[in-house]
Amino acid sequence: MSAPLRRAGLVAPAMLTIGVLLVLPLCLMAVISTLVRGPSGGVIWSEHTLDAYVQFLFERDLMDRLVVNTDYIRIFARSFGLAAMTTALTLLVGFPTALWMAFQPASRRTLLVFVVTVPFWTNILVRSYAWVLLLRNGGVVDWTLMKLGVTTQPVSILYTPLATAIGLVYSFLPYMILPIYVSLEKLDRRLIEAAFDLGADRWRALRRVILPLAMPGIIGGAILVFVPALGAFITPEILGGGKSLMIGSLIQQQFGQSRNWPFGAALAFVLLAIVLLALMAHALRYRSGVKAPP
Amino acid sequence: MAEATVLELRQHDRTARSGGIAAADTAVECRDLVKTFAGGVVRALDGVSVAIRANEFFTLLGPSGCGKTTLLRIIAGFETQDAGSVLVHGQALDGLPPFRRPVNTVFQSYAVFPHMTVEQNIAFGLEMQRRPRQDIGRRVAEMLTLVKLDGMGKRMPAQLSGGQQQRVALARALATAPRVLLLDEPLSALDLKLRTGMQLELKRLQAEIGITFIFVTHDQHEALTMSDRIAVMNGGKILQIGTPEEIYERPSARFVADFIGETNLLEATRIGERRFRLASGETVETAEAGPAGPAGDAVTLAIRPERANLAPPESAGLAGRVEQIVYEGTDTTYYVLLASGFRFRLSEQNRDGAQPRVRPGDAVAVALPAAAIQVLVA
Repeated sequence: MSAPLRRAGLVAPAMLTIGVLLVLPLCLMAVISTLVRGPSGGVIWSEHTLDAYVQFLFERDLMDRLVVNTDYIRIFARSFGLAAMTTALTLLVGFPTALWMAFQPASRRTLLVFVVTVPFWTNILVRSYAWVLLLRNGGVVDWTLMKLGVTTQPVSILYTPLATAIGLVYSFLPYMILPIYVSLEKLDRRLIEAAFDLGADRWRALRRVILPLAMPGIIGGAILVFVPALGAFITPEILGGGKSLMIGSLIQQQFGQSRNWPFGAALAFVLLAIVLLALMAHALRYRSGVKAPP
Repeated sequence: MAEATVLELRQHDRTARSGGIAAADTAVECRDLVKTFAGGVVRALDGVSVAIRANEFFTLLGPSGCGKTTLLRIIAGFETQDAGSVLVHGQALDGLPPFRRPVNTVFQSYAVFPHMTVEQNIAFGLEMQRRPRQDIGRRVAEMLTLVKLDGMGKRMPAQLSGGQQQRVALARALATAPRVLLLDEPLSALDLKLRTGMQLELKRLQAEIGITFIFVTHDQHEALTMSDRIAVMNGGKILQIGTPEEIYERPSARFVADFIGETNLLEATRIGERRFRLASGETVETAEAGPAGPAGDAVTLAIRPERANLAPPESAGLAGRVEQIVYEGTDTTYYVLLASGFRFRLSEQNRDGAQPRVRPGDAVAVALPAAAIQVLVA
């Protein structure tokens, strides 16, 4: 076998996996987003139109004129806000946790990593309903606060944006902790000692040495949390009560109740485009600005 | 190295010191330091006391696990001693965190910050002291000149060779003009040629800047070459403190004699003040009496290979047979099997080219000049 042929043979499994599982479904979605919805769901394969994308920004009034419709943009903005807040909160909780884990004795570290991954073993639905039991009126949180005398009236946490935030932070925390932990664990301890030695107290050693060197982990964690949080629909639905529509729920509705596949696909593509642009902008800035450590 | 920079460094040093009373001659004093690890099972330091003089190049020498690095880390504040105390220029450091101690460290692995340029690395300590920006810039430039890295200030550590990274670590530690510089095997990662160069350079720097260096190494050659004084450590204890000459020529313990350079250690019994009988029955005379003891005391006689002489058989000395001859460039080493079964190592300088007078198998005598024999407690 010639060298190019052998090389092609070796990369074939990877290409096949990516092609069948990633590229093909994406292409299918792209095609669907340019079709016309069928009268009873599905799509009409022979009719092409960009109406689905137009619908994202405009609606037709009674006179059949296009007027700007900000409903969907507002949903997008709300989802981005929620995802950003989730990322910030998981970082706030996750970084100290990862730092603490990385400085435990080696034997205990393995156990801690294991403990962090335990929630993955249970279905997200089950975990969300568990939070319902905790947060509802008369639930564990409410009961405890009343008994402690912190509150006299039932606090209504469930079905509020706060409940959604708690649920999202809870479910995405491991995705933030693990990448940061990995980058902190391989950090040379002598660098921290050197910082102390040169007169940096704990805070300044953290800010000047530990944080910059943990940056790849922090960025990785932020992407791993932000992107799925953007499309999350189970948590806002169950803990937020589905009161405020999120991108995830919106897209899910288009394929479900609304039976408007082209619009659902178009929404998914707009989301994909925004995320990709953001990542590219970040990659460009990171490359030209601070040089990443090797 | 420009003359002006040296002066400025000295001046800087003086202003940094002017706060305290600069009269004390002792830079670092350790009193009865004890440190155990693994819940008291491992005694890393077992009652170590040492006084290191100001502006001295002081070396802690010993095999790995002897406690030398632990001692250094306690002085730096990275480890806390179980008992004893550390004083730097009269000030007790016990309980102070590393960032409050007037000592800086050069680490074995360099520990140069990989995300900062050379300049940012050197400026780090100065920034921690919140020095004015112009001061920092000037000082960083001085340091770059001092360690001969001019023009490399903007580079990242990954773009530097091992030797250059070592210089950055050195400049970074010296930038804040510490009163004492701790060096933890700083040259062990360099190749031989670079290491020899850096040895001389470190010595030069220490003399120029005039601060106390405490240098940790397991390399006896390095210790002998660079140090004003050496402390030989083993098993958490200091066995001997002395100048390189004292340590090499007059080792006070069997371990020191064995660890520093090559040595022949012969078991013997004292039969007079300066007369000893070897296990093989021969008697030898020494120039010094060694540690006092009654006749019949068991002692060890240490003889350096280059201090013994090869003599024709039947002449005075220890009878033996040449077993092996090894040509080593500057020297030739002879291994002589003595009558007692001891394999005596003897070396001669090849002053007139390699002219072996004997061959393996030849009967010879090993002549021991009285001054060449060091008497040690067995």
